Amino acid sequence: MKIVTPNESEARDWTAPGENQSLLRNPQSAIRNWLRGRGALLTGAGLVMFFCLIAVFADLLAPYDYSSLSRREPLAPPTTIRFRDAQGRWHARPFVYARQLLDPATQRYEEITDRAYPLELFACGYSYEFLWLFPTDLHLFGTRAETGVEAPRVYLLGADKFGRDRLSRLLMATRYSLFIGPLGALLASALGILIGAVAGYVGGWTDAVLMRAADVIKALPTLVLILAVRATFPPGLPPADAIKLLLILFLMLGWADMARLARGLIMELRQREYVMAAVSLGCSPARVIVRHILPGAAMSLAAQTLILLPDFLLAETALSFLGAGLQDPEASWGKLLTDVDSKLFKRGHVLAEFSPALAIMLFVLGARLLGDGLGNEGREREKFQWSEGIEETKEGRKKEAG
Amino acid sequence: MLKLILFRLLQGVMVLLIISFLIFSLLTRAGGDAVTMLENTRSSNETIESLRRIHGLDRPLKERYLNWLAEAARGNLGHSLVLQAPVLSLIRLPLLRTGMLATVALLIAWSVSLMLGIAAARRPGSLVDRVCSVVILLASSTPGLALALLALALIYSTPLMSVVGPATNADAGVWSFRVIPPAIILSVPLLAVFLAQTRVAIREALDEEFVLVARARGAPEWMILLRHALRPAAGPLITIFGISLGAIMSGSVVVETVMGWPGLGQLTVSAVETRDIPLLLGVTLVAAAAVMTGNLVADILQRLNNPRLRNG
Repeated sequence: MKIVTPNESEARDWTAPGENQSLLRNPQSAIRNWLRGRGALLTGAGLVMFFCLIAVFADLLAPYDYSSLSRREPLAPPTTIRFRDAQGRWHARPFVYARQLLDPATQRYEEITDRAYPLELFACGYSYEFLWLFPTDLHLFGTRAETGVEAPRVYLLGADKFGRDRLSRLLMATRYSLFIGPLGALLASALGILIGAVAGYVGGWTDAVLMRAADVIKALPTLVLILAVRATFPPGLPPADAIKLLLILFLMLGWADMARLARGLIMELRQREYVMAAVSLGCSPARVIVRHILPGAAMSLAAQTLILLPDFLLAETALSFLGAGLQDPEASWGKLLTDVDSKLFKRGHVLAEFSPALAIMLFVLGARLLGDGLGNEGREREKFQWSEGIEETKEGRKKEAG
Repeated sequence: MLKLILFRLLQGVMVLLIISFLIFSLLTRAGGDAVTMLENTRSSNETIESLRRIHGLDRPLKERYLNWLAEAARGNLGHSLVLQAPVLSLIRLPLLRTGMLATVALLIAWSVSLMLGIAAARRPGSLVDRVCSVVILLASSTPGLALALLALALIYSTPLMSVVGPATNADAGVWSFRVIPPAIILSVPLLAVFLAQTRVAIREALDEEFVLVARARGAPEWMILLRHALRPAAGPLITIFGISLGAIMSGSVVVETVMGWPGLGQLTVSAVETRDIPLLLGVTLVAAAAVMTGNLVADILQRLNNPRLRNG
């Protein structure tokens, strides 16, 4: 048997010519080439993916029910995970000590070192439906419950003033916030694309009226309006209705930016030869827009949706914070931030208490990086198509001349 | 120019009409008014009914709306049911305070973004330029809410508290040093937009031929920057200022509520909490009118700055 050395394999040309060639021949450098200049895009994609995974697996990751109270532990600081016990012995398995509230006024806690409670992976906890399909009660980590002894709760980020686990609340809030913000952005963008497409394609009076409306909506103080409309509904709206109301408001007030962009893109793409060809073949306007124009604009539109996403997320955060979102046991990033007050630094668990804000920042940063990266990618593609087009016409002209 | 102003005024009036009608009609749809809150208290049904009659809440929507409209046209936005005062008198001072907050925030954002933007545009790829990119990214992805909470906690843990701490309705005039922290926080998202715009605009302007001519003529660098580059670069800056006015108003709701600046934002939130609909309606309309006026001013400035637009 002959062993093929890398050099020989490179020398043999057994791939079909095309752009896959370099990838098969020298995958490392091909991947490296592809990665060059895409660091921001990948960081953004990674961050967004990370939060999406958290949102999907929030139940599994959360050790406790986000609404279950523990009256004995209000404002408990984060639990220390220990490997070394009070007697100075080291343990392979991490464990925690139970804690006792010494002084309710200053929230001072003391560890009871008589008994260690080992942590375990995939501990049993409250029941939920994994991926909304399989009923289960497994959670990523927890303390082992033994007969007769109630194991203490582990608070990786501490507990809020009702003794609810901050980590569990943060995880479930991620699920809610990542549902409503992106959904709002998606719906509003879809409406914006529709309106922009009509305005850009039909032109004339329709265009003028629609774009005037878009200007007016862009100029309105959105948050004030949403607050005003929200106030006309009863304060104790059930979560499902509150979400619906918020989405409708986002839809009504959020389409303007997207409509402007989509209109510009469509007016530009309308001039392309393939679109004119489709029109001259007798395609209906709807078919021309959906089948011929939108695919060309898809990348830029997706990028713009991502760039707009933070606005919706931040609006939702602000509304929840101001009390116009969900009602109490439910959690969203903005709702969690209502627990942060002026004594943040005095209590000394800044990171734990400020974790919702950090989550918002990281997610928004990720969405912006991803949106900018995708936008660049779309422009590159556009450039590529253009240069090809120009070459073709040049060749065509040469042929005509010859 | 006159045509523009007239057209915008007409458009503004129409928008205000639509908004007021929207909120008004939602009111009856959702049921419940300021008096509904009393139903669970000890007030008798007769009292509640007579209250409704006094404030005209028992009449049909159309009549109420037209009445309100007729009063509003005479400059009377109604009477706050909770604070027991005419709406306009309640709004005046907070509006001025929010105007102050927005002005200070804009000044901060403009001066910082002009300084950084010019420095970055003069040497693309330099350290300042790269720092600018990072500043833009961070400033645009930091939620104002988180910044405001952090700033408040910081202020509370320093002795600066007594000078720049939260203002209350009683002790704040329109100008007070207490406006500075909320203004700084409000300017952060603006800074991201302005800085990105300034950097690009000035870089493009510096590439123009008239800058080359000015250089060849031996004009000093400050003159090239301030007179030749800044003027064409001001166009997009004014546009972006007009666009961001709505965002400033939205941002001020959060910043004022968290950091304690008794402006229009705080008034809105308290009106929402007490479900004081006349006040809320007034605040919303005044906020929308203020933003649209700002937009008109931006457009006029744009035309003054760029003669080519004047006849458009």
